[in-house]
Amino acid sequence: MNAKAEANLIEAIVDATVHYDEARCVALARQAVDQGLDPFKVIRDGYSRGMQIVGDKFSTLEYCLPEVMLAADAMNAATEVLKPHLIQSHASDSEGVIVIGVIQGDIHDLGKNIVKIMLRAAGFTVHDLGNDAPVRRFIEKAEELSADIIAASAILTTTMSYMPDIASMLSELGLRDKYMIMLGGAPVIADWAMEVGADGYGEDAVEAVDVAKRLMQKKRGGQQT
Amino acid sequence: MIGFWDVIGRSESGPLVKEKEFDLRVGRVARQMIEKYDIKYDPQNVIPADDGLADRVYQAGLDLFLELGIYCRDTGRLMKFTRDEVQWALKHAAATVTYGQGRDMATMTYRAVEDRKPPFCIMTPVGAPVAEERFVPMVQSYAQEPLAQTFSSAFSQTVHGRPIKSGTPQEVEAAIWNVIKLREAARAAGRPQIGIHNLVSNAERTDAILAAVQADFGVQPNDGLCIAATAELKIDYERVKKTVFLRQSGHNKYGLYGPLVGGYAGGPQATALVHIAHHFLGLLAFEAQWHCGFPLHIHHGCNTTRELLWLVSLTAQALSRNTRLLITANTFAAAGPCTEMVAYEIVAHALAATVAGADLDLAAVARNRHPEHATGMEARIGAEAGHLIARQGVTREQANEIVKQILTQYEDQLADAPIGKRLDECYRLETLEPTQAYLELYEQVKEKLGKFGLDYSLL
Repeated sequence: MNAKAEANLIEAIVDATVHYDEARCVALARQAVDQGLDPFKVIRDGYSRGMQIVGDKFSTLEYCLPEVMLAADAMNAATEVLKPHLIQSHASDSEGVIVIGVIQGDIHDLGKNIVKIMLRAAGFTVHDLGNDAPVRRFIEKAEELSADIIAASAILTTTMSYMPDIASMLSELGLRDKYMIMLGGAPVIADWAMEVGADGYGEDAVEAVDVAKRLMQKKRGGQQT
Repeated sequence: MIGFWDVIGRSESGPLVKEKEFDLRVGRVARQMIEKYDIKYDPQNVIPADDGLADRVYQAGLDLFLELGIYCRDTGRLMKFTRDEVQWALKHAAATVTYGQGRDMATMTYRAVEDRKPPFCIMTPVGAPVAEERFVPMVQSYAQEPLAQTFSSAFSQTVHGRPIKSGTPQEVEAAIWNVIKLREAARAAGRPQIGIHNLVSNAERTDAILAAVQADFGVQPNDGLCIAATAELKIDYERVKKTVFLRQSGHNKYGLYGPLVGGYAGGPQATALVHIAHHFLGLLAFEAQWHCGFPLHIHHGCNTTRELLWLVSLTAQALSRNTRLLITANTFAAAGPCTEMVAYEIVAHALAATVAGADLDLAAVARNRHPEHATGMEARIGAEAGHLIARQGVTREQANEIVKQILTQYEDQLADAPIGKRLDECYRLETLEPTQAYLELYEQVKEKLGKFGLDYSLL
């Protein structure tokens, strides 16, 4: 495939993602495989870039949550097609592994879901614990997956009180240095998050992605991710 | 007729739907209704004066509710209703609700669009976080306001020095402490029998909240609780349990709805329809006697943006013109205490709501998240604005011109709003009076609002 045709295909993928056209996203993924394109590059320059544009549109409310959800679904369906073709070296090229969830006692998952979508779109491998997740589960899952970041959300002042337990329980178990901690949610402010042992705080989904990238850089010893 | 247990029974017998499918359906159906009823958002008509538009928004919201129903998160089932059932519930909705006893008694009644009757004024820090030792002064600063007809709680960050964690024994202790301290604040304010519309902010779990609803702790028979929809048109059993208790205890109850502009529904038009629909949800699933709306901007976390003011005003007009429901608008400001911006935001919201027939719930400020950043002064600013707007007989057209001028004072600062000052910087805590600096700031804002068309001499 010549360079121009490849660029056209990538642009078509970006466009299909931005227009949350799942059928077209999947068809273009198959076309990319058939024509021997590097699946990693297709994801990075096509679907992820499309999702970045979706994120930008969301930040100005040109897009609302349903469009973001549909675009993420379209991207996920396409990456399922590409996954078996990712070569081993690229298969581990995740931006990082994140265990995310809404903290114990809290069932409000809208914010967490948006952050999850944006993190996945940015290339992170995200495991979602859902709602009402005890601190112990965050840690057990992080251990099981050899995760890099534990990310917790709360929307209630009565549930954010569990957040300090993440850092303290990790310390108690001798695991504090293994994980970066990110906190967020409606009642959570940056100063408080840092006070209770977080390494990063995201005001919104867009900032959460930037913070996650920064934490991965820090974790990997300053290497560019 | 449709009874409460018939409604709840549908959460066990309605069709099974995946939650994500329901979330996406909300936006799809809202888009269909916007098109069918030709609902357009006009940023220049922040406070619309188009009765036809208000009526179409109401009909679209009702149709949306009938099409979508209520999603029960515990069972994953849809609870669907007929038009006749909704009409029956509307016909039998509470016409009045009374809080407080003796000289502190206050009754909320229906308000019409452009009603000259002042709005019922609920005052509350809306669960803003505060240090335990400043909990009573903070809530007292609301209860002591002359225009406060009920008040409610802040969130104490600790109780007896221990942090409150949902689901723990400490949460039950915190809920009981919360109620005792609210009544103590009412006494300190010299209004011992003022109503408390939402008794507990220190707890989330229903067992803890209900444990605190006891006369021995200072709860009056007509104090009450809120029952919230968990997200766009969703309920869960944990919150509905409160309805069951309140039906038997006789305390007052109200529905709480906070749909997000930019969320599952979509933009301001779609979210307006979902907001209307929430009132039917509250009426049926919570038997709510009155309804408190706090639609928010998904990024700004406030409802004083141009599109949110449009939504607040239009939905209140739609409900006031087509029902006799008791509706309140809960201000969420981006800026914090003792800033000009917060005063402008609160007055803009009061204008949008008051001329539309809503009562006022005042006020969450500093995006309702910064510890110690909430005071009774913000509630005073909103209540005084609501009273004078009604007394002055401000029309929707006039309100629109005024609000557009007010928006020029803060609209470009919404993303980066100042969080303002703490309670102890805004009030002399010994006497619990606002500082001279805050009073002067308010006077300056009033002077400018006078130039925009609000006549503060009527207060």
